[in-house]
Parts: sequence; structure tokens; C-alpha cells
Amino acid sequence: MAIFNRLPNLKQIAPVYAVCVIVIYSWTTLWLFWKLPSWLFYMNAGEIALVYAYLLVTNFLESLLAVCIPIALGFILPPKWFRDSFVSRGTSLVLLGLGYFMFLAYQFQAKEDYPSVLLKLWSVALALGLIAFLVFIIGKVPSLNKVLEFIAEQATILLYIYIPLSLVSLLIVLPRLLLG
Amino acid sequence: MKKLSRRDFLKLTSVLSGAFALSRLAPGLSFSRPVQSSSRPNILIFVFDAMSAKNLSVYGYKRNTSPNLARFAERATVYNAHYSAGSFTVPGTASLLTGLYPWTHRAINESGLIARNLTDRNIFRLVGSQFERLAFSQNLWPNYFFAQFQGDIDKLIPAGSFSQVDYLAGEKLNRDLLTTQRTFDDFLFKRDTPPKSLIFSLFERIFLRRAVVQTNQSGYPNGLPQLNDYPIYFRLPAVFDGLISTIDGLKPASLAYFHLFPPHDPYNPTKQFYLKFDDGWSPVEKPIHPMGDHWSPKALYRFRRAYDEYIASLDNEFGRLLDFLESKGIFENSYVVVTSDHGELFERGERGHVSPLLYEAGIRVPLMISSPGQKSRQDVYSPTISVDVAPTLAHLTGNPIPDWREGELLPLMGGKELPDRSIFTLYALKNPAISKLSRLSIAMRKGNYKLIFYRGYSHDGDQFELYDLQNDAEELKDLYSDDLPVAKAMRDELLAKLEAVNAPYKS
Repeated sequence: MAIFNRLPNLKQIAPVYAVCVIVIYSWTTLWLFWKLPSWLFYMNAGEIALVYAYLLVTNFLESLLAVCIPIALGFILPPKWFRDSFVSRGTSLVLLGLGYFMFLAYQFQAKEDYPSVLLKLWSVALALGLIAFLVFIIGKVPSLNKVLEFIAEQATILLYIYIPLSLVSLLIVLPRLLLG
Repeated sequence: MKKLSRRDFLKLTSVLSGAFALSRLAPGLSFSRPVQSSSRPNILIFVFDAMSAKNLSVYGYKRNTSPNLARFAERATVYNAHYSAGSFTVPGTASLLTGLYPWTHRAINESGLIARNLTDRNIFRLVGSQFERLAFSQNLWPNYFFAQFQGDIDKLIPAGSFSQVDYLAGEKLNRDLLTTQRTFDDFLFKRDTPPKSLIFSLFERIFLRRAVVQTNQSGYPNGLPQLNDYPIYFRLPAVFDGLISTIDGLKPASLAYFHLFPPHDPYNPTKQFYLKFDDGWSPVEKPIHPMGDHWSPKALYRFRRAYDEYIASLDNEFGRLLDFLESKGIFENSYVVVTSDHGELFERGERGHVSPLLYEAGIRVPLMISSPGQKSRQDVYSPTISVDVAPTLAHLTGNPIPDWREGELLPLMGGKELPDRSIFTLYALKNPAISKLSRLSIAMRKGNYKLIFYRGYSHDGDQFELYDLQNDAEELKDLYSDDLPVAKAMRDELLAKLEAVNAPYKS
């Protein structure tokens, strides 16, 4: 069907999704390492594994959400602008977008921090505009494109680890949430 | 079956009438006695987090922080030397709920849990299923214990109930309560560090702050009362309205445990009490302790003042609750318990309670119990401790006193005054729960003396301080000396106790 032809194919999506997975899972895992020593004080291995299963499911849902953005752009924008070089542009978009989220996250260092300026509509629009501009520029530099494609292709190997782990976690978490 | 002879009948009659006469005499010594199954009273327990007895006017504090608690005391048994077995919420509440010392229940770390094999030891199980058992805690940490006691609690009121802003996630996924609380509230959405997941946590934080900014904060010059690190903001009247409507709906013979976060830091008094105690008064200045946080006296004055004002705000609402309990006649058929899980320090450069410093303000807490129909005040001056509460409740509800208990029955509640007993408060935040206690401090009270013991903080080995509370209530003169017989006796007893509780654990 013509409408689905506008979507990037699975071979294009997988590397971009892999980049989402690396960034999103790594962020949470790094914080987990920070917390782990205190958990080891009073939680046993089974309890920690269970919490990790919940975290994997959370990250799994987040990564699916994140990859929807480049897919949607590939669908909406003219193919020449995005879909035809989906891996490199998608990767740059994911890296810059999640990088912006990391920047925002670090504005919440303490519980009372509220980066209101950074969350004003004009500020968000400016950031998104900048990201769009950088994605456009990066797309114009063939060497950068190649690097991004290389990174994304290499990252796909992690999907073979994280996706099965996340699916197993989902199988553990869902019955617990639904049945108790 | 052997036939009852006339002689046997007379013997039996005399024994029974003697027992009856004694039972009428004995209660004269204590106000309360175990109930008969046909007339079970309600039990209402109010725990105010971080409420130090030293800062309550009902316990002799200079500022008039607690006129309504004083009103309550007029119909209650007041324990004047009551201690918490832990110096912050996790060990303090766990001891209150289980009747076990922290070295036994092992909930000694931040967000810590009660040892898995001991979760059947709790007040909810002790009073039994003939009571409807309800639990509510604004503080999230006791909620972890409730999740551990899930089978023994009939109704769990979510922590965010009665709040203006509630972004807790764990309790909304309550079929797997303990793990979801641990995952979402105590990790992903905890506010002590940046958001720990890049999308959900970040957006949760953004929406939370937006919700808080948009919430009406009028009447609270320091901002709305809130929890440390967890996304709950509330107004004191709304919380007490919630308590009142909950109590109003209780079925006869209920055990209701209410654990309120105030007056815990951050201290956010209402406008009515804001700056009420800006009177320039400070208690006697004490030397800076090397293990303290080195706050200046000026800063400590400000913190103490705000804390006192927050207590007064809380007490004001407690007065409304008291009016309700009186108007509904609830005191006639209920035990009403008021206590705290730990105190709060504003001395020696230290502020707060998560501290190895175990001075009186940090560990001495209120305990007042109004028995059904009690009309006058009774005072108990001998030392008591939070682990006494659980077995006492078992006794008062007509249940067997558990043989595993580590406390005694409270005086005038079935127990007797034991002025020379040894009681202990433990702080071992940085000691793994599964290991031997090697980094800790312990306060041991025995008679008028108090020994404070530190291990694992200094290269110089164990350290001790000894105070005579009878003659030095402010703990200014350290009497400790190896040559002093009382110091030696207390030290030996404490070290022997520590060795005994450490015996089952590896280093």
C-alpha cells in the first residue's frame, strides 16, 4: 500500500532504534549502578533482579516511544528530506534529541530545581529548531553520515541482548501487575 | 468424667471469688486491662514523624508549641522518658510496628526493609483479624513495611491521599506494591538526583513541578508542606479532614495506624504560626560535635524556630481532631496513642535526625495513651521504649503477649515501672543490614544514666560518652571514664549485648 511505502523499512529502523536503546537503557543503568550499593545493603538478588525487570520494561517502552519520532518524521516529511537517509538523519536526531533530554534532566539536580526558562514554549521551540538545523547540516556532510551509519549499524548488536531481556522482563512484570 | 463433690464445689467457688476480688483490685494499679472479646475497643495510633519530646510544651519545652497535645495529655497516660529504638524513620518505625530492636528487624538503612523472616511480627497481626486493620502513612518508608505486612492489613490508604499534589506511581500499581514502590517511587521518580529515566522520569518531573507551581500555596509562607524527595504536597487541614472522615467511617473494633509526615523537615508552618516563635530564645549552647554538620548557632536558631512553628501548626490541627474525637465520644471506647518515630536535633552543629549523634532531642519522643473512658492524667517517669508498644497492644486487645518480644508491657498498661532496665537506640545507616554491626552508634539508657557508644567512625577505636540525665538533662558534662564503676558496668553490658546481636552475622 502506498501509504506504508512512505515508512522506512525495518532494516533502516533497526539501527536507529538501537541508538535509542543504547542511550535510554544506559542512562538508567548508570543511575542503577549508583543506587546498587545501597540496595545491596538490604535487598536480595531476586528482589534487585525484579526491580531491574521493571526498569527494563520502562526503558523498552521509552525506546519504542523515542523511535516513533524519526519514523513519524520519515512518514510525514518528503522522502528526500529524511527517509532516504533515514539511518544517519534518524541517528543524529535521536542523539541530539536525547542529548537535549539529558541536558534538561541535569537541570533538575535538586528537588526544588525547576528550569522554567528552559521549559517555556519559545525555549523548547528554539531547542527543537536547533536540533532540526543540526540534523539538516549533518545530513549534508557525507563523512559524518558515514560515521553515524557505522555507529548505528554497530549498535544493532545490542538489540540481540536488550530486546530479549526486555521481553522476558515483560513476561515477568505483566502477570505480577495484572494478577498480583 | 469425675463427679464434682460438695467440697470441690466450695473450693472452686472460693478460688473463683478470690480471683474475681483480685481482678477488681489489680486494675487499681493500672488504668487499663485487657478487653473481653464482646467489647473490643478501637485503637487509634497517631505517629507524627520527627516529633521530639524535647520541643513539646507538654513535656516542659519553653515555647508553647503543643497546647492541644497538652489538652490530650489531661486524659492520657503520659510517658515522660520514652525513647525511639531508632533515630530515623526506617529503624524507628520498624521497631514501633514490630516490637523488635533494629539489630533484630534489620531495617537500618535508608529505604530499608524488615528481615523477610520477621515480617509476621507486627502490630497488625498481633491484634488479630478480629480487628479491622487500617494503615496510612504519608511517609513512604513505612509504606514499604505495610507492603511487607500486606496480608495483615485490611485496608491500606495510599500515601498521597488527602494531598494537593500526588505523583506517586508505585501505589497505583498496587498488585505488586513493594516492587513498584521500589522501582518507581524510590528510584525512577525519586527527587534526590536528576531524573533516572530519560523520558518518563523527566516528564514526570516537569509535570510535577508545573503542578506544584500551579497549586494554591496561600497560607504557607515557606511553601506547601511536602515530603522530602517524594512527590507529595499537602495542606495540613486537608490531611486532618481526611483523618477525621476516615475515623468517622471506622467499624467497631478497628486498629487504625496513621503516620503523618509533619513536623518532619522541610518545616512549612501555616501563616498563623509563621514567625510566631521569632523571640530570640535559644536553649543552652552546646559544644560543636566533630561528627555533626557544623551548622552555625544562627542557622540552628532559624531551623529550630521553623520546626517549633511547624509543630504548633500541626498541634493546631490536632486540636480539631481532638474536638472531633470528643464530640463523637470516641474516647469512651478507644485507646488513642500519640507518639513519634524519632526526634530532631538542633544542637552541637547538627540539624535533623539522620545522624550518629544520639542526644536526647534526637531520640526522646512523646508517648501518650488515652485508655477507654480515661478522664485524668497519669504520668510515668521510668524509661520506656518504642519496642514496648507492640506487646502492650497485644495485651490490651486480649491477645497473648508474644514470646519473641524484645520490649516490656508499658507501665500502667499491664506492665510495671522498671526504672533500672536497659533500653537502646541504634543508628547504623551505613552498615549493611545483612552484616555484623560494625559502623554504628548506640544510646543506652539505664536508670538516670545514658551511655552513647560510637564504633566505626574513628581510627581511635570505640568511643563512649556518659551523661547523668538526672543532674545534667542537657548532656553537657561527659562523665565517661574507664575507672568509673557505672561507666564500666554500662559499657560491659552494652558490648556484651552487641556481641550477642552480632553473633548470627558475618563480618
